[in-house]
Amino acid sequence: MKMKKKAFLILRNNSLFIKMFLIMMLSIVAVSLLITFSSIRMSSDLFMETFSISNTKALEQIEIRFEDYSFAIVNATNEVQNNGTIKKVLTQENTSAIETSKSYHDISRQIERIYPTVESYDTNMIVLGNNERLYNMNYSNWPVSWDVLRNHPITKYTINRPNTLLYQFMPSTSFNDKPMIVATKALMERSTGEIYGVLYFPILEEQWKGLYEGYTSTENEVLLVNRAGQIVSSNKEEMIGDKADELLALAEKVEDEGLEFKDVTISGTDYMLMSQYLPTYDMYLVNLVDKDAVLANLINTKEILLISLGIVLLAVIVVFLISRRITNSISRLVKQISTSAKHEFNRPVAETGGYEAKKIANAFNSMLNELQEYVGLVVQAQQKQRSAELMALQHQINPHFLYNTLASIKFMIQQGKKEKATDMIHALISLLQNALSNVDQTITVEQEIKDLKNYVLINQARYGEGIKVNFFISPDCLDYQLPKLILQPFIENAFFHAFNIQKEGFVQILVSEKGGNLLCEIVDNGDGMEIKGDHTKEDIKEKRHLFSGIGIRNVHERIQMLYGEEFGVEITSEIGNGTKVKVELPLQISAKPKEITSI
Amino acid sequence: MKKFYLMLVLLVGMAVLAACSSGDEEASGGSSEGSSSVDTITAWAWDPAFNIAALEKAKEAYSGDGDFEVNIIENAQDDIIQKLNTGLSSGTTKGMPNIVLIEDYRAQSFLQAYPDAFHPLTDVINSNDFADYKIATTSFDGEQYGLPFDSGVAGLYVRTDYLEEAGYTPEDLTNITWDEYIEIGKKVKEATGKNMLTLDPNDLGQIRMMIQTNGSWYVDEDGSTPNLAGNESLEKAFETYKKMMDADIGKIVSDWSQFVGAFNSGDVASVPTGNWITPSIKQAADQSGKWAVVPMPRLDMEGAVNASNLGGSSWYILNVDGKEQAADFMLNTFGSNVDLYQTLVKDIGALGTYSAAAEGDAYAVEDEFFGGQQLLSDLSSWTDEIPGVNYGLHTYAIEDILVTGMQDYLNGTELKTVLENVQGQAEAQLK
Repeated sequence: MKMKKKAFLILRNNSLFIKMFLIMMLSIVAVSLLITFSSIRMSSDLFMETFSISNTKALEQIEIRFEDYSFAIVNATNEVQNNGTIKKVLTQENTSAIETSKSYHDISRQIERIYPTVESYDTNMIVLGNNERLYNMNYSNWPVSWDVLRNHPITKYTINRPNTLLYQFMPSTSFNDKPMIVATKALMERSTGEIYGVLYFPILEEQWKGLYEGYTSTENEVLLVNRAGQIVSSNKEEMIGDKADELLALAEKVEDEGLEFKDVTISGTDYMLMSQYLPTYDMYLVNLVDKDAVLANLINTKEILLISLGIVLLAVIVVFLISRRITNSISRLVKQISTSAKHEFNRPVAETGGYEAKKIANAFNSMLNELQEYVGLVVQAQQKQRSAELMALQHQINPHFLYNTLASIKFMIQQGKKEKATDMIHALISLLQNALSNVDQTITVEQEIKDLKNYVLINQARYGEGIKVNFFISPDCLDYQLPKLILQPFIENAFFHAFNIQKEGFVQILVSEKGGNLLCEIVDNGDGMEIKGDHTKEDIKEKRHLFSGIGIRNVHERIQMLYGEEFGVEITSEIGNGTKVKVELPLQISAKPKEITSI
Repeated sequence: MKKFYLMLVLLVGMAVLAACSSGDEEASGGSSEGSSSVDTITAWAWDPAFNIAALEKAKEAYSGDGDFEVNIIENAQDDIIQKLNTGLSSGTTKGMPNIVLIEDYRAQSFLQAYPDAFHPLTDVINSNDFADYKIATTSFDGEQYGLPFDSGVAGLYVRTDYLEEAGYTPEDLTNITWDEYIEIGKKVKEATGKNMLTLDPNDLGQIRMMIQTNGSWYVDEDGSTPNLAGNESLEKAFETYKKMMDADIGKIVSDWSQFVGAFNSGDVASVPTGNWITPSIKQAADQSGKWAVVPMPRLDMEGAVNASNLGGSSWYILNVDGKEQAADFMLNTFGSNVDLYQTLVKDIGALGTYSAAAEGDAYAVEDEFFGGQQLLSDLSSWTDEIPGVNYGLHTYAIEDILVTGMQDYLNGTELKTVLENVQGQAEAQLK
C-alpha cells in the first residue's frame, strides 16, 4: 500500500517528464522504424528490378549460347546428312574385307572432318548404321555397343520422328553415373523415305551446363525443363531428372503471357521466375532467383536494424537526459512553490535549471518579496492601530474613580486627617502621572511596584483595610523592565471581585525570576470564581475601576503582541479558595521592547 | 583525455605496422623454403581402374620418411596432354602436377620439347631394374626421365577350342611368323567359319606391333626423321597386312566396342594385342579355359623376335617445387617395392616393368581362365625380349598419314609408291 502510494507519488511528481519522454520516444521509434523498413523495401524492390533486368540479359546470353550449340549440332547434322560417303557406307552390305576396310576408313575420315564442329563443346558424335556399323568418336564418353544402341529407346523415339532434331534426356541410370543430353536425328534418304542410320550427339549434362553455369549461383538457379516436365539440366545437381510439372506450367505461363518475370512460391521458398522457351530444344530455360537469399546477400537487414536500433537508443538517451533536465527544474520549481505556503511565503525558491525555469523562479521570488512587503505594512498598520487604541483607553481615566478618590480625600480633610489626605493626594498624583504618560513605555519592576502601592494605598484609604496587600519582590528583579500597568488590572480585579462574600483577606504580589522568565504572581484568598473556558474573564465595567477601558483580557493580548506566544497570562481559580494569576514576561533590562521602537 | 587518445592511435598504428612487417618476413621466408619442400605432391593419371588405382596402392605402400600428402587427380588423357602442353609451353609451373603419367608413344615429344621441365631420374633409379625396351622411350639425351610403369608387352591371345577344331594346338602358334599365322588363320576359318582376328582400318596398332618385333619404328633413331620409304620392316608389315585382308581372315571393326564385342562373342579365334586386354578377355566368363596366350608372331625377317609391345606408359616428375619429395615417393614405391608390384598384379591386374617383381609369387600364379598358364610370368619374360625402339615425337601424326596410305595400298597402289607418298607427306607435315 505504501509502495503503491510511493509509486503514485513518484509518477505524479514526474508526470510531465514521463509524458514528454514517452511522446518523444514513441515518435523517434516510429520514425526510425518507418524509415528503416521503407528504405529496406525500396532498396530491395529496386534491386530485384535491376536484378531481373540483368538476369533477363543473362538469360538472353544463355539463350544465345544454346543457339550456338544447337547451330553447331545442326551444322554437323546437315553435313552428315548430305555426306554421300557416309550414306554409302551405312547402307553398304556384304562386301569383301578390303572394301569394308576402305569404307570404314572413308567414313572415319568424313566423320573426323565433321566432328570438330561439335568437338569444342565436349560433345561426342556417334553414327549408327545398319549391319553393325557404328562410329563412336569418343568411346569413353559413351561406351555403347551397336546392339545396345540400336535397341535403345532414344533410337526408337528418333526413328519415329525422322524429320526432327531431338534433344533427349538420358538419366544417370544409363551406363555410368552421369546423366546425358543426346541430340538425335534420323538419317533418311529423302527420295525414298528410307532411314539408313541415326546420328547422336551425346553430351554429359555436367558439360552441357557449362553453357549457362557461369551465370548461376546457389540463389540464382537455372533449369532446363523439357516438354515432359522433366528437369533435364540444372546447376542444382540433385534436381536433375526430377519431374517438375508445376515448374513447367509456371514457365509456360510466363512465356505465354510475355511476362518479364513472375513471383512464385515453390516448396515454401519465394522465387522470382524468369523463363525463355528454346524452340530448337523444345525446352524451357527457367531461371529461379531465390529472393530471400539474394536479398540477404545484398542487404544486411540485421545490420540496418542494428544501426537504427543504435540510433534510436542514442536518441532516446539524449531525449531522456534533455527532457529530464528541463522537466526536473520545472517540477522542482513546482514542488517549491507548492510548499511555500508552509513557510508563510517567506522562503524564496532556488533559481536553478534552464532559462525558462530561472525566469519563472525569479518572477515568483520577486512576487514573494512584494507580498512580504505588503504583509509587513499590514502588520505595522495593525500594531499602530492597536497602540493607538491602548493610548486612547489609557487616557480614559474613569471619572468616577477620580470623583470617589477626591471625595474620600475631602472626607479625610473634613475629619482632620490631614496627613493621610496628603499621602492620598501624593499617591493619586503619582498614579495619574504614570497613567497619563506614554503607554508604550516600559518601566522597571521597582516603579511598577511603587505605582501598585499607591493604588493600593488609595483603595485602602477608601474602602478600609480589610484587604491586606503584601509585596514579595525578589531584589534581583527590581531592575527588569516590564510594560506599564501590566499588573494593575489584576489587583484591581482582586479588590473589587475577590472579596464580595468574605469581606476580609489578603492579596499577595510576588515577582521573581523563574526559568529565564520574569514571573509575576497575584494571589488572593478571596471568593474565587469559575473559569469560563478562556483563561481571561469577561470584564465588568464598573465605576470603581481606574481605567474604564483596560481589562485583564487586554493584558494577555498585549503581552503576546509584544513578546510572542510563549508569554502571557494564566489564571487559576477555585470557588472559596481564591484566585491565582500568573504573568510571565521575558527578562528585559534595556529601556524598551524592540518591536515598539520600530513602530 | 585528448592526449590519451593520441597515444592510443599511435600505439595501434605502430602495432599494425609491426604486424605488417613481420607478415612480410614470414611470407618471404615461406617462399624460399617452399622451393625445396612442399606439404602436398600432386599426381595426374587417367584411368581410375588402372593407373589411378595403382597410385592409390603406391600411396598406401609408401614407407619413406617424407612428410607430405599425395593428392591423386584423375584427368582424361587428352586433357593431361593438353594441360601439359599449355603449361609447359608458357613456361609456368603453376597448376602443374609433381608426378604425371605419360603414354610411351608420346613421351619423347614432351621430353624433346621441354627438356628442362622434367626432373631427371638418372641418379634416382637404376635403369637396369626395368625392362630394356622401356628405357629407350623414357630417356632423352642420355638422361633417364621416366620411371617405367606398365608393360605394353603384347601377346597372341588364342581360342584353343577353335584351333583344335582346325587341328592345331597353341604350341603350333608359338614363335611363328605372321605368314605362318595367316596360313593357320585360313585353316581355322575354313574349319570354324570364324575370322582369325579383328582389324580396325583406322588403327594401325597391328603394324606397330609387327615392326617393333624387328626393332623398327616410324621414325629414325633420332626420334624425328620419318622412316617410312625404304623401311623394310614397314614394307613387310604392310605386305603382311594386305595378305590378311586378301585371305579374308580379318573381321573389320570400327571401334573399341566392336573390337571387344568380337572376341567376347566368340567371333574371332585370336587377339594379337597388348597384355592390358586380359581383363576384357576374361569378361566372357563362359570362355574360361578356352584361351591361351602365346608369344607375338614375328615378321618373317632376319633379326625379328617373337616379342612386341603395344601401349604402355611411364611416370614423369616435373621440375617444380617438391620434385625431391616426388622422386623419393616414386623411388620408394614404383622404383623399388617388389611387394607393391605383387599387389598391383593381384588387385588391379597391372603388369609392371620392374624386372625384380617377376620373381614374386603373384607372378607365378596359374590362371585357370587360360588353362592353367602362368600368364604373368610368361608375359614378364617376353617383356625382357621386346626390342627397344625410340618411339620419337610423331607416332600418332605419322600413323594418321599411314592409315590413308594403307587404304591406297589395299586398293591397288604400288607399295613403294604408297610409302614414298607417305614419306613425302610426313616430311612436309612434320617439318
